[in-house]
Amino acid sequence: MLALSVAAVLAVFLVYVSLAGGGTPAIQPSELDGRTETVSLGGVVVSKRGDPHSAVGMRFVLRDTKGAERVTVLYRGTTPDQFKVGRELMVKGALRNGVFVAQRDSMVTKCPSKYEPAEKST
Amino acid sequence: MAELGRAALVVCLGLAVYALAAGGWAVVTRRRRLAASAQNALVASFATALVASLVLLVSFVRRDFSLVYVARLSSEELPTGYTLAAFWSGQEGSLLLWLLVLTGYAAAVVGLARRRRSELLPWVVPPLALVVTFFAFVLVAVSSPFATQVAPANGAGMNPSLQNPYMLAHPVFLYLGYVGLAVPWAFAIGALLARRSDEAWIISTRRWTLFAWTMLGVGQLLGAKWAYEEIGWGGYFAWDPVENAALMPWLAATAFLHSVMIQEKRGMLKVWNVLLVILAFGLSLFGTFLTRSGILTSIHSFTESPIGAWFLGFIALVAVVSLGILFARLPLLRSRTKLESLVSREATFLYNNLLLVALCLTILWGVIWPILSEAVRGEASMVGGPYYNFFLRTFGLPLLLLMGLAPLVAWRRASLRSLGASFAWPAAIALATAVVLLALGFGSSTAGLLAYTFSAFVLGSIAYEFVRGTRTRHGLDGGGWWPAFSSLVGRNRRRYGGYVVHAAIVLLALGVAGSAYDTTRSARLDPGEQLEIAGYTLTYVGVTQNTVANARELRAQVDVERDGASLGTYEPGKNFYPVEDQVSNEPAIRSEARTLGDLFLILDAANADGSIQLKAVVNPLVNLIWLAGLVFLGGALIAMWPDPAEERRLLERYALAPA
Repeated sequence: MLALSVAAVLAVFLVYVSLAGGGTPAIQPSELDGRTETVSLGGVVVSKRGDPHSAVGMRFVLRDTKGAERVTVLYRGTTPDQFKVGRELMVKGALRNGVFVAQRDSMVTKCPSKYEPAEKST
Repeated sequence: MAELGRAALVVCLGLAVYALAAGGWAVVTRRRRLAASAQNALVASFATALVASLVLLVSFVRRDFSLVYVARLSSEELPTGYTLAAFWSGQEGSLLLWLLVLTGYAAAVVGLARRRRSELLPWVVPPLALVVTFFAFVLVAVSSPFATQVAPANGAGMNPSLQNPYMLAHPVFLYLGYVGLAVPWAFAIGALLARRSDEAWIISTRRWTLFAWTMLGVGQLLGAKWAYEEIGWGGYFAWDPVENAALMPWLAATAFLHSVMIQEKRGMLKVWNVLLVILAFGLSLFGTFLTRSGILTSIHSFTESPIGAWFLGFIALVAVVSLGILFARLPLLRSRTKLESLVSREATFLYNNLLLVALCLTILWGVIWPILSEAVRGEASMVGGPYYNFFLRTFGLPLLLLMGLAPLVAWRRASLRSLGASFAWPAAIALATAVVLLALGFGSSTAGLLAYTFSAFVLGSIAYEFVRGTRTRHGLDGGGWWPAFSSLVGRNRRRYGGYVVHAAIVLLALGVAGSAYDTTRSARLDPGEQLEIAGYTLTYVGVTQNTVANARELRAQVDVERDGASLGTYEPGKNFYPVEDQVSNEPAIRSEARTLGDLFLILDAANADGSIQLKAVVNPLVNLIWLAGLVFLGGALIAMWPDPAEERRLLERYALAPA
């Protein structure tokens, strides 16, 4: 009885995981390396220009958190309060012709120790 | 000052180690006076934790930036009211709050159990002292809130999103919940150590567990309300690991609260209950670890902070010790009875437990998946909202349905005929609701439609139970209906308090399911331009700026109209905090008393040419979620309220029950 129920629950879980796959890869610019599937791209903002709410969108450069490898990101939609040059963030999207095209509103900023302020000097 | 705080923590550690060693030795050698001394040490550790906390609080109020912690998390400009929130806004202060709450619980347990002359108390002291030892050790040696430096002119300030009144209450409630789960765990381990196979530990801890569980639930809702009003994206829950960290132990504790009833009534599920209480406490430690170790950012940043390794080690120790003791006592924990039928109250409780634990474990899997995949494959992989929402629907909807079914199913074995009679009314109400909702076009979301139909069923069955009970009492006592009703609830507080909590969960489900019918619009508006959303007409008027003590406030004036009638001007905006060098979103929210929904306005951007980017979200029924919190608290209080007659009944029953 108990075993049957546990098996049923497990079956639901396995079916879901096999159909939906094991989630979205979370990588950094250095690991992009020409891959074109949808990924979560994380890194530090180096520079930005343009308006994310305009038709052409905003472009910003994202760099590895511990490295020099970088990629240009095209982004449209809402930016979180914490977004600015020097911040660590993640966007979801895919590489298209050398530019990482992010999904609308997919930006999440990461605050290393969650709600503690980020170190000022680096 | 800092020396006093440090000294208090060192004394606290010493007392905890003494309580652990002396308490352990006392139960092995059966020395009563030594056991009492260990208990006193535990009570005294509360006093020292209190001293340390007061020192830190005073340092915050005096803005003593010679304390690294104070300088990092506050500033001269920070309003004094928020210094209390600053106390627990960082790692060290949070751990100190853990220690304070834990020793507070320990002192209360010792005080109350002594008054009742509990035989279990000497056995409960060592497990409690073990946990106190760990947190005191971390605060003394790994992550001290009292580290000093040459005082800078000003502090770095407080994260603006924490400068919110909810941050004064949310962490306290959450920690009362998290930490409170240590009490039933300590009693369970103590009972096993003492080779007790009866239900004494469950009876002694029922209110402790209920209290901790209530606080954890209320704390999470306060956190959701904070996120809704402060983070300002129009939602209240995002399956963030920090949110999941609190949800998981709550789900495990919910399963525990249900399955202990089976053990009390039928002597079944003894091992399962111990496992659940270990799981709940383990998850509460794991939640603290998740939010405080930095592992969420990356497995690499985890190795940089020493606290993570200590936590992981302690969680492993708790798991190994708990499971080891449970394994050693397995022969004692035989069930007195067996499950007789798959259609019985016991069986519905079992299904409820499986679903709750399944939901809890799938969430756990989602939380640790990035860490596991990075460790195994070298590349982190993440699951997001769709993963969690799928399992919330898959396990949550049957849970909702069960909540309506279970109270109508008889203990031991239910006949189909009796089932039919009690189900008729609730089922009819649910069907009628489904038909009406379909006609109104709610079929756009199957999960939403199912949630509403099941909710109607649950509310119908709860109402049926109240009516049936009141009728019976009325028949027995005579008199008015109201006295019959209050006597019904008063005599069966656990049962009817539980039903009220169920009603609260239904309100919560209704509110959450309302998000399936959200509407969002976003537009760039010049002054005078309009945005239409769900019957509202929003007219952008202009922006104003205002400077307050620690921030510059930018507000956009938006006139809101519906059906030609003006509903006033709303001011979504942003605050700029110069000391912290941060921006904070300040949404404007209009709550509709009639529909219980919200119009939620977000100022996405204010442009140099005077135009703005305005985002508007209409959240139907979202206020039911906050209402659910009040009903939840009310129901939990009814279930918790002391009832001497019932306690006596239970104790007598277990005194007579075969061991």
